[in-house]
Amino acid sequence: MKFIADLHIHSKYSRATAKNLDLENLYLWAQYKGIHVVGTGDFVHPKWFKELEEKLEPAEEGLFKLKEKLAQPIDAKIPQSCKGQVRFLLTVEISNIYKRHEKVRKVHNLIYASSLKAAQKIQAKLGSIGNISSDGRPILGLDSYDLLKIMLEADAKNLFVPAHIWTPWFSALGSMGGFDSMEDAFGDLTKHIFAVETGLSSDPPMNWRLKQLDDFILISNSDAHSPAKLGREANIFDTEFSYDGIYKALSDKNDKGLVSTLEFFPEEGKYHYDGHRNCQVRWHPKETIKNKGICSGCGKPVTVGVMARVEALADRNESSKSQRWRPYQNIVPLPEMIAEAKNMGTASKAVQEAYMSILSQLGNEFYILLDCPLDDIKRAAGDVLAEGISRMRQGKVQIAAGYDGEFGTIKIFESGEREHIEKQLALF
Amino acid sequence: MDKPTDLNESQWKAVNHEGSHLLITAGPGTGKTHTLTRRIAHVIPSLKSNENILAITFTNKAARQMKERLTSLGVRQSLLFIGTFHGFCLKLLRDYFEHTALPKDFKVVTPQEITGFDKDILDRISHMKSTQLVISPDNDFKEYQRYLRKNSWIDFDDILREALLLLEDENIASQLRRQYRYIFVDEYQDTNIVQHAILKILGCEGVLLTAIGDANQSIYGFRGSRVELFHRFKEDFVPAQILTLQENYRSAPSLLAASGQVMGGVQLLAKLSTQGKLVIHQAATDRAEADYVAQQIEKLMGGLDMNTSRRAKHGFGDIACLYRLNTQSHLLSKALEYLGIPYQIAHKAQKLEVYSDENVLGQNEEELEFNVEKVSLMSLHAAKGLEFPVVFIIGCEDHLLPLDLTGMKSSAEEERRLFYVGMTRAKEYLYLTHAKRRQIFGQSLIQAPSPYLADIAEELKAYEALKRNPPKKDPDALQMKLF
Repeated sequence: MKFIADLHIHSKYSRATAKNLDLENLYLWAQYKGIHVVGTGDFVHPKWFKELEEKLEPAEEGLFKLKEKLAQPIDAKIPQSCKGQVRFLLTVEISNIYKRHEKVRKVHNLIYASSLKAAQKIQAKLGSIGNISSDGRPILGLDSYDLLKIMLEADAKNLFVPAHIWTPWFSALGSMGGFDSMEDAFGDLTKHIFAVETGLSSDPPMNWRLKQLDDFILISNSDAHSPAKLGREANIFDTEFSYDGIYKALSDKNDKGLVSTLEFFPEEGKYHYDGHRNCQVRWHPKETIKNKGICSGCGKPVTVGVMARVEALADRNESSKSQRWRPYQNIVPLPEMIAEAKNMGTASKAVQEAYMSILSQLGNEFYILLDCPLDDIKRAAGDVLAEGISRMRQGKVQIAAGYDGEFGTIKIFESGEREHIEKQLALF
Repeated sequence: MDKPTDLNESQWKAVNHEGSHLLITAGPGTGKTHTLTRRIAHVIPSLKSNENILAITFTNKAARQMKERLTSLGVRQSLLFIGTFHGFCLKLLRDYFEHTALPKDFKVVTPQEITGFDKDILDRISHMKSTQLVISPDNDFKEYQRYLRKNSWIDFDDILREALLLLEDENIASQLRRQYRYIFVDEYQDTNIVQHAILKILGCEGVLLTAIGDANQSIYGFRGSRVELFHRFKEDFVPAQILTLQENYRSAPSLLAASGQVMGGVQLLAKLSTQGKLVIHQAATDRAEADYVAQQIEKLMGGLDMNTSRRAKHGFGDIACLYRLNTQSHLLSKALEYLGIPYQIAHKAQKLEVYSDENVLGQNEEELEFNVEKVSLMSLHAAKGLEFPVVFIIGCEDHLLPLDLTGMKSSAEEERRLFYVGMTRAKEYLYLTHAKRRQIFGQSLIQAPSPYLADIAEELKAYEALKRNPPKKDPDALQMKLF
């Protein structure tokens, strides 16, 4: 069965997340977006775990669904066009902060639990060594290696996925807080890792340039801190609709269950370029090299972004492909597309209303972004948006790259172009 | 024999010393444990068969570390007894059991197991047992001893007193003197008179005693430690030599200077050239003080969430927060928890460490499977013997440092030494914080800074205020409102 999965999100119990990030809203927004399997996030947090136990019930093997009586009132709100099956898979992200070789490492890691029992074991173990109650993404002074060990001891069928592996400050390969190789970080246990998350600031081709990543399959998730950010990136599977199906697709090198990934334009990610946000210095890695890495604003070293970091560790040229490569499609979230078409802010009321209207006419967001005939979009939302989505599908967008924690900005239309498109069409 | 490269001149002199008892005065960070272990390894070859070494440490943890160090120096464990006074004395009671008046099935009782006695009474009895060689028992004392005897228990203090009684048997004493030709005592400044009497019996007739310590770090007077024994070493053990280690390998020069000023002009030689930083922070309340500490830790760690990152030099395990009273840990742990900073409160474990014998400890000690880094929270007393790149001392206020609250008062000299011990734990960063208003034991107090702060030269101090970060606008949250 073909399905879309977003396997890195957070709950309301994580820091800096939306208060309505609960199971009901995940269920609702997964359908708006067109996601069939969504991570629970934060399963180690005692309160969230309790909610999972209370509100979910087992569905397909290793997957869970919202209890019927909770789902019903939400179903009534969802446009017929968007209705779909939503399952939850137990996920958590741990912030491992520890010293290795006299350097402070900050590595974020994802764990997917094969069952409630396995999740409980991990929770008990981590609870015995650290504080798991103040943050849904707990900070532990525990080596990533030890976390992986704990996870494997809880159940060999759990999955370990180093999160957004290029993020400068908090990732396995990050320029500031990470290692130069997965082996350095995970040693002899590296072979128990099957997948890595590329993060918003890198796309698959960037990752293909590293031989050391050949054994891993690349996955993409939203890392959403609010329900509306679900599916910023996601994975398309075509396999058995179960934990086992997903496990096999990630772990078995011959399995073709993971079909493709949906990706941010990497330039739009927060750490694509180098620079200093506070000094408003945004540099292409070449400029960084020219300036010897020193910020022209404050004189301190700039935050080295993902592009430069990949370049530094790459050992293959730009046209290389990794052994486990999959096709991918760059996407821009639909609200951003609408905002660009209307030349208004993403958060504006008009954009929000248009979003809901388009969804109820055409279907879920992924359908609109990926598959919906352009003519249908024209009829439902006008020519400019249809043209925008067409350009997005072809990768014809301009982006001012993100840097040092600042998202990049997307530009699809030149000034005056929108009017031009409308006028042109009026002639026909 | 030439001086090994890992010892300085005065350390080598101490290691190499022969022919008399030896007292090594070793200030903080002067390589006390290093010198002591090297000296033990140095005398080992001169042991005859059947001769052993007795090394007394202040805690079981220190004993374990010393064992490890000696093993790595190639010393066979069978030649050594390394343990605390309590550990050694308990071994004597078991080895020479038939010579004691103890019941056959005697068991060491932990303070937690004792019921039916007020804490005040127990404290008073314990104080008597550790400060008087001959006790005139009052009714409480008699009743307590009957209670112990009825249960076939002995308490921690009795371990030492029973052992001393045993050693009054000259046969046993001389047997032990033949066995332990060298005795080493760490942290000699915190020896009490019962321990001292034991050493006097064992440390004669050819037995050579090496004591090491620092009178400026004597902080257990309330438990019977007698710093004057340190100054009396030459009279007690004849003939004796006194050597001094002065080179400090722990602290940045500026921190060393500051602690020296507090300790009335103690001058150790700074061997490191690290850049040190001593920060004084005044908070409005104890709560604000705790928030400041937590925020500074987050800052030192280079930020803990995606948006506040900077390069970090320190791990959680490099940081300690010290305080005068254990109750001060409450607000601090709340503030750390709020920011998700991993921490551990060390005082409970430490107390057990100090007193307990290996068996008791074995039951309480959790097997550590993983090395988990956490910020350490502990009392100034518990920090003895430890070092950290970053140290916070909170509550640097008059009436707390020195302690002078209703029903709680300690000797002025000892309080100063306690503060000195705290300051000298720091390698690079030392934060001394105080609050203007503090809730303590249900009372709201208006506090003045500790007088010790004024003893530190102004040019060594940096005053820092709390930076209030404006709450960040969360773009996601904004968007959520609209959707």
